[in-house]
Amino acid sequence: MDAALPLRKTRAVDIGACDHCGEALTPDAVREGERAFCCHGCAAASTWIRESALGDYYNLRTSPAGRVQADAADFGAWDRDVVLAEHSRIVPGGREITVLTDAMRCAACAWLIDRALRRQAGVLDAGANAVTGRVVVAWDPQRVALSTLMQRLAALGYRPWLATGEAREQAQRRERRRWLLRLGVAGLGAIQAMMFAEALYLDTAQQMPVATRDFFRWITFLVSTPVVFYSGWPFLEGMWRELRGRRLGMDTLIAGSTLLAYFASLFETLRGGTHVWYDAAVMFVLLLLVARMFEQRARGIASAQIDALARARPALALRERDGSVEQVPVGDIALDDVLRVAAGEAVPADGVLLDHAASFDEALITGESTPVRREAGEPALAGSICRESSARLRVVRTGADTRLSQLTRLVEQAQSARPQLARAAERVAGGFVVALLLCAVATFAWWLVHEPARALEVTLALLVVSCPCALSLAIPSALTTAHGALARIGVLGVREDALSTLARVDRVVLDKTGTLSNGRPELDSVATFEGMDAPDALAIAAALERGSMHPLAQAFAHVEDDLFAHGVHALAGSGIEGDVDGTRWRLGRADFAASRTDDGAIWLGDGTRAFARITVRETMRDDAREAVAALRDAGIAVELCSGDSADAVASFARQVGIESFHARQTPEQKLARVRAAQAGGEVVAMVGDGLNDAPVLAGADVSLAMAEGAALAQRAADFVVTSPSLLRVPQAIVLARRIQRIVQQNLAWALGYNILAIPLAATGHVTPWIAALGMAGSSLLVTLNALRLGRRERNERRAA
Amino acid sequence: MNILLLLVPISLVLLGIAIGAFVWAVRRGQFDDLDTPAIDILRDDPLPAPRNDPADEARDAD
Repeated sequence: MDAALPLRKTRAVDIGACDHCGEALTPDAVREGERAFCCHGCAAASTWIRESALGDYYNLRTSPAGRVQADAADFGAWDRDVVLAEHSRIVPGGREITVLTDAMRCAACAWLIDRALRRQAGVLDAGANAVTGRVVVAWDPQRVALSTLMQRLAALGYRPWLATGEAREQAQRRERRRWLLRLGVAGLGAIQAMMFAEALYLDTAQQMPVATRDFFRWITFLVSTPVVFYSGWPFLEGMWRELRGRRLGMDTLIAGSTLLAYFASLFETLRGGTHVWYDAAVMFVLLLLVARMFEQRARGIASAQIDALARARPALALRERDGSVEQVPVGDIALDDVLRVAAGEAVPADGVLLDHAASFDEALITGESTPVRREAGEPALAGSICRESSARLRVVRTGADTRLSQLTRLVEQAQSARPQLARAAERVAGGFVVALLLCAVATFAWWLVHEPARALEVTLALLVVSCPCALSLAIPSALTTAHGALARIGVLGVREDALSTLARVDRVVLDKTGTLSNGRPELDSVATFEGMDAPDALAIAAALERGSMHPLAQAFAHVEDDLFAHGVHALAGSGIEGDVDGTRWRLGRADFAASRTDDGAIWLGDGTRAFARITVRETMRDDAREAVAALRDAGIAVELCSGDSADAVASFARQVGIESFHARQTPEQKLARVRAAQAGGEVVAMVGDGLNDAPVLAGADVSLAMAEGAALAQRAADFVVTSPSLLRVPQAIVLARRIQRIVQQNLAWALGYNILAIPLAATGHVTPWIAALGMAGSSLLVTLNALRLGRRERNERRAA
Repeated sequence: MNILLLLVPISLVLLGIAIGAFVWAVRRGQFDDLDTPAIDILRDDPLPAPRNDPADEARDAD
């Protein structure tokens, strides 16, 4: 008997948005007085906030909060001494820990966390930083457990993650402060040195007594020395590294020019020559330090928010002992322990695979983006990510012996890798240094022959006027404004060099689930067969899907049941199978679960017979249509690739206005499609969110992951879109194109300026003050040109 | 021009003070977070009436 059971009698109509997180409400919304919430998690968080007299949060915030996960994680293991010893430090009266959270969206979130934590008894101090996504809490372990505080954070929607260890956090903070100090000293010192230099410049008629002049010169020398050697130390160090590596790069150019201007000035001061260039030396350092700082800040903000390292290295592991599973800190794992790793999570220690084969993404270890399949008995490496199905493994190496330390180094390397654009500047700089040195030598030789008295002066003027300031400012300043502008619209650049690729995109491949739809599937209807009833069918399906990272699993998240599935194994693009109560069940496509023709619904069966047909409904993102139209306006081909059935994909494509769509695509097929387009000379961007998109995201020229998606997808992506709006994708592409133009203009200007100035200087037509003015002017022009980007974007937002 | 012998050292002393103040501010973490403190001034803290959370009380009683 086929009995169709409609789960929802009313269609989801737009009845407003959640008071807390801004999600669209469904008919089963939680109502409390005048306010309505999408779920109990949000309702509880909002109630707590208002009862604690923190309701101002709702007035102060500039973007809605994240959805609160009702199933708060267990933080019990965080109270263990092992975790505390590694991740916290002792402060007077208690301990202090730094945790990461990815849900802070604006300064009001930081404010709320601050107040919420301070209200807990036993908290000594609390500080949240929305920019870096870090929360620092000092608490008294005698009075309150850390897990209680973390539970409070999670209940407000800010799920905490352990940072990479207190020592590293401290080191990062110290590093940031050292850079600030360098910049401060450079700024104050440079202004003072330039003031003194001004006095010397204004003495145009050479009327100043020699004693006064020399007094000024020595004072300038005194003020500029710390600027050159303390503030400019990163450049000097960089030059030393480059010289030892026998190559000429940007740092050599910068430090070389600085030292030359400084020591030439000292030389002139000693012998009472006509000119000194201390002001040029300090200006180099100040401007270039600002550029370097810009560059670091852009990189820091993007990487801090999605702290890949922190998640790649799990702090806790699931250990099986005496038949039960317990959560233990990674430090507690001993040899021969049996660990469980869920799909989508990182392996905590090197081990040997038990039971069944599983595939692992070892991209962070080997750089290989396609997952590696390991049979039972083969090794699984710590730091690799378990794909598709969960795995059990026996530990063979722990602690420092594992690849974890190596992984840490790798990620640090990846983070410190200079952006490709900046590397382009580096190459230009290398050639520039050589050309400049040749020019200088030739000029010096020529003047030595014709007018020996002016040889040194003219050569120095040549070197000063050809300052690489504009050249080295050209790209970092553009990149910084670009990343700032992107972050403001909710797109975080994870890999810096992706920006230039994004500008060249001419085809965008979109995933359906979680990308065009809002990623929240809901149960629509259940039809049952063979005497099975609907609640039982849903309970079995829920048990199978519980550990799954597939977006459809969310549809079953609210089904209450007490069943457990064993040996769960997911087949990408087909479905999932596992044992529930001694029966082998399959859930997924009709041909996989019940040997029927695929009709787009989810079938529950044993491989041959069908027991239930479950339909799931997806809701389209509000602005998916506009986003597709905007992409097309930008001259970009749009394509829809989904693992879903033909009917569902076709109707979805029609709704959002995409003509080119492909249904029933496995990850391999999606990747092949992207490769084919690439072979045709197209630059392909992939937008996706799921575990099954990860290989495609890694394989496309440039990829964007939606922030609600799987952590693995985000790690494979170049950009993470934190805003729920899909419109950010076309906006980001338009922005990237604008950045590209600005970089080209800047480089052209910087090179053009030097080409013009060098001949003038070589022929002795440039006086030192013209040189200084030209240098400052060209740097300023380049920076202002880059800042134009941020301003235009702000104006557009105001108009919108 | 002898006034310079007074003015220039004074400017140097002022420079030293400015750098000292900056170093102090950086060390104290004044520049660590430039966004959150800005909204702190937008509202007053509520009167010191700690919320009586049943859970907190239970913990305190422990």
